[in-house]
Amino acid sequence: MAKPLIEIDHVDMVFTLPDGQRYPALKDIHLEIHEGEFVALLGHSGCGKSTLLNMVAGFLRPTAGGVVLRGRQVTEPGPDRMVVFQNYSLLPWKTVYDNVALAVRAVFPRLSKAAQHQRIQTALEQVHLWGAQHKYPAQLSGGMQQRVAIARALAITPQVLLLDEPFGALDALTRGSLQEELMAVCQTVGMTCLMVTHDVDEALLLADRVVLLTNGPNARIGQILKVPFPRPRSRHEVVHHPSYYTLRQQVVDFLQQQRRRRAVAVRSAAGTGTRKVAVGFLPLTDCAPLVVAQAEGIFAEYGLEVDLCQENSWADLAEGVLSGRLQAAQMLAPLPLALAVGCQDQPPQPALKVPLVLSRNGNGITVSRALYEQGVTDVAACKDYIARTGERLVLGVVHPASMHNLWLRYALASAGMDPDQDVELVVAPPAQMVYHLEAGHLHGFCVGQPWNTYAERRGLGKCISTSLDWWAGHPEKVLAVHRGWANDHPDLEVALVQALMRAGERCDIPKQRPAIAELLSRPEYLHLEPDLIRPGFAEPLATESHYPRLHQFAVGQASSPLPAEGVWILTQLARWGLTPLPQNWWEVVHTIYALDVFIQAAQALGRPDTIPERRQFALADGVLFDADNPLAYLEQFPIRRAIDYRTVCLVEREESPCVP
Amino acid sequence: MASRMLVQQRRVPAWMQHPLVRKVGLGFVGVLLFLLVWQLLVLLGLLKLPAPTQVFADTRELILHPFYRGTGNDAGIGWQILFSLRRVALGFSFAAIVGVAIGMVIGASPLLYDAFDPILQVLRPVPPLAWLPISLAAFKDNEPAAVFVIFITAVWPIIINTVVGVQQIPRDYRNVARVLRLSKWDYFWHVMVPATVPYVFTGLRIGIGLSWLAIVAAEMLIGGVGIGFFIWDAWNSSLISEIVIALFYVGLVGLVLDRCVAYLGKFITKGSEV
Repeated sequence: MAKPLIEIDHVDMVFTLPDGQRYPALKDIHLEIHEGEFVALLGHSGCGKSTLLNMVAGFLRPTAGGVVLRGRQVTEPGPDRMVVFQNYSLLPWKTVYDNVALAVRAVFPRLSKAAQHQRIQTALEQVHLWGAQHKYPAQLSGGMQQRVAIARALAITPQVLLLDEPFGALDALTRGSLQEELMAVCQTVGMTCLMVTHDVDEALLLADRVVLLTNGPNARIGQILKVPFPRPRSRHEVVHHPSYYTLRQQVVDFLQQQRRRRAVAVRSAAGTGTRKVAVGFLPLTDCAPLVVAQAEGIFAEYGLEVDLCQENSWADLAEGVLSGRLQAAQMLAPLPLALAVGCQDQPPQPALKVPLVLSRNGNGITVSRALYEQGVTDVAACKDYIARTGERLVLGVVHPASMHNLWLRYALASAGMDPDQDVELVVAPPAQMVYHLEAGHLHGFCVGQPWNTYAERRGLGKCISTSLDWWAGHPEKVLAVHRGWANDHPDLEVALVQALMRAGERCDIPKQRPAIAELLSRPEYLHLEPDLIRPGFAEPLATESHYPRLHQFAVGQASSPLPAEGVWILTQLARWGLTPLPQNWWEVVHTIYALDVFIQAAQALGRPDTIPERRQFALADGVLFDADNPLAYLEQFPIRRAIDYRTVCLVEREESPCVP
Repeated sequence: MASRMLVQQRRVPAWMQHPLVRKVGLGFVGVLLFLLVWQLLVLLGLLKLPAPTQVFADTRELILHPFYRGTGNDAGIGWQILFSLRRVALGFSFAAIVGVAIGMVIGASPLLYDAFDPILQVLRPVPPLAWLPISLAAFKDNEPAAVFVIFITAVWPIIINTVVGVQQIPRDYRNVARVLRLSKWDYFWHVMVPATVPYVFTGLRIGIGLSWLAIVAAEMLIGGVGIGFFIWDAWNSSLISEIVIALFYVGLVGLVLDRCVAYLGKFITKGSEV
């Protein structure tokens, strides 16, 4: 990949308040912006997004880390990073022309008068204000004034345009037309832009990537969404794009989650020094061990006061544990590994560790009723369907670093389809999949139970495969704990693992399952009819005879983390360009998988404490995976992205900086 | 509502509601009333001053021949006022130049501001006449001493308002200048001066008012020539009517000066509704 134009390199910002207290506004922000890219910073007000912009502009110096533009560190403001301010910042004693001229003359003093004039005129023509050049700002409307400010910025051809809520003060109608104008101008010039906004639709319309910041203090990048709409864009096309609503929902969910966060943070802060643990989960059948441990008092037996926090999405959960709001969480098996090696251009973040596998299997692929009736009865049939209709199928997965995504991609690629080109994969939280299927945003999805059954029961879709068809016994959900918390509370960590191991064993007793389904159906957990939860869990799934293997919790040492499986996950993340493939793959897996904690807990319970020393295995397709040679395994796949094979530094930055 | 408004309109003719007519007319009525009350008070013996009719009779010459020239200090009231104005012009010009310059420097530097703010705060409330002895001691001459008093009286509000003006330059303008890396000169000329002008003119207006206040008092003490001395001289000669007419002129000139500076300010900041 080309060198980024701007690198915001592990930036911290701490403000000293007037009363001498220190307020940590931003924490460890890492973001790379490439030439021609439009990046939107989104977050609640006061989260530090303008602070971040001001650091790129050079108005503020970060407390730690730095901003690099084309290989040079930013130390002061300059015309190569022109800013468009929210309140226009035109000089009221100068005409429109003179406002632009002041900038042009300051930046290009050697240019001839005629050339300067040409620049000014071109810029004003771009924003359709040539003709009003002799007016004073006070004679113009707010929208026109902001157009002058944009023209002033364009006239000096900066390397990057920084926009600080540029349309925040305008009425909706003006804002709409200015957004389209800005988009058109940036597209023709190929301008790199960084924009701060709190308008979700504005971000999705304009940006190539939306960077979501968590709430301060210590605001971090919570999530980065790629906006896949093709350019040139128009508002109409964007709004009617199949993935618009799933993306929008993701952003809105994130923002809502951030709003709730403060209350929870206060609650969990009160619990320091006690045996309180905030554990996050998502409403799915395979959260059963957590629910059972809570409801049947197993946590309490180990002296834990567990606060089960239901979250909206996997990204929220990961953010929750990383920020310390949650101490532990049910998590997608690939997610801690992906964070550790740096997912989607984020820096490596080995802050989570995995002492336990919570569940295996349990996912299904469902296609819409219409698709099924047109003969898409398995994944391979998608190929014929696409060839026949030319339709671009939109399929939902729950997170980029999920077994769902890896499975769906694996299955599509095995059937000769490129998951990035032949179909479109979009991310949506599990509980919203059926809604998106019903609304027609999705043609199908890969999701955990009970949502496949739910779609079927509502007559919206048909489950065409379960993950048993792909890899019987794949690790699905793991327990992820925050490394810092675990270091401070090793006893609580082991107690948590013990409690969940016992709860898992309970969940694997077939006789117990109807009662557990009943338990899961409660409003505080899944809030669904037990009828919907039982298939595949307490009774065979309609199309399957696999019951009860569709959900495994403890049987056959299901709960032990197997390093070889971790390596396999790393290969697949790298296969689709989500992460680099670490040269130090064993180190990565052994750092994340806390086998010592697992063994300690197993010993305390008197369970088998040996981790199977399995280095080779095969999925249902019979292709042998050798964990000692992941690159060779990857290279035999004809459909894959370029592999970024490199050593990943796992040291947490605060302790000792990693020199490349 | 509508019927009530109609009734009101019928009571006052439209031409009388014209703002100019209203202002001038009512002002005229006010003056007349004032003179009437004055006249009455004198007639009733409650006020031991010449009545307005008496004043007009006594000062006919002065009003008709303001630029009369006699010998020595004997000159018409117009000349006296011009002399005073000359001193004010001199002192005030110095004060404007020095005050704006110092104000810009102090306003632009928080360091200098902190250093000089105490001095400003202490010297600002010193009454103009308190400066007279020290300036006489310093200059050993009446004329420069009087000009200095004008200067020192007018300079504080000019400095302080300029400082505030510079400090109040909106952060956005400064940010724009920083992003564009404007040269010091460009920043001064294109941003700082225009942004500060309204504040400077507020200071100048206060300054000119104070100058005019100070000159009358100073001239009473210094003697020689000028409207202040004229008043003092009239008092010594018990020409109360002359004092009254002189006071009227002093007020009038003060008003004109204030309006001139205000108009100049409006003219210069034209187009920039700051």
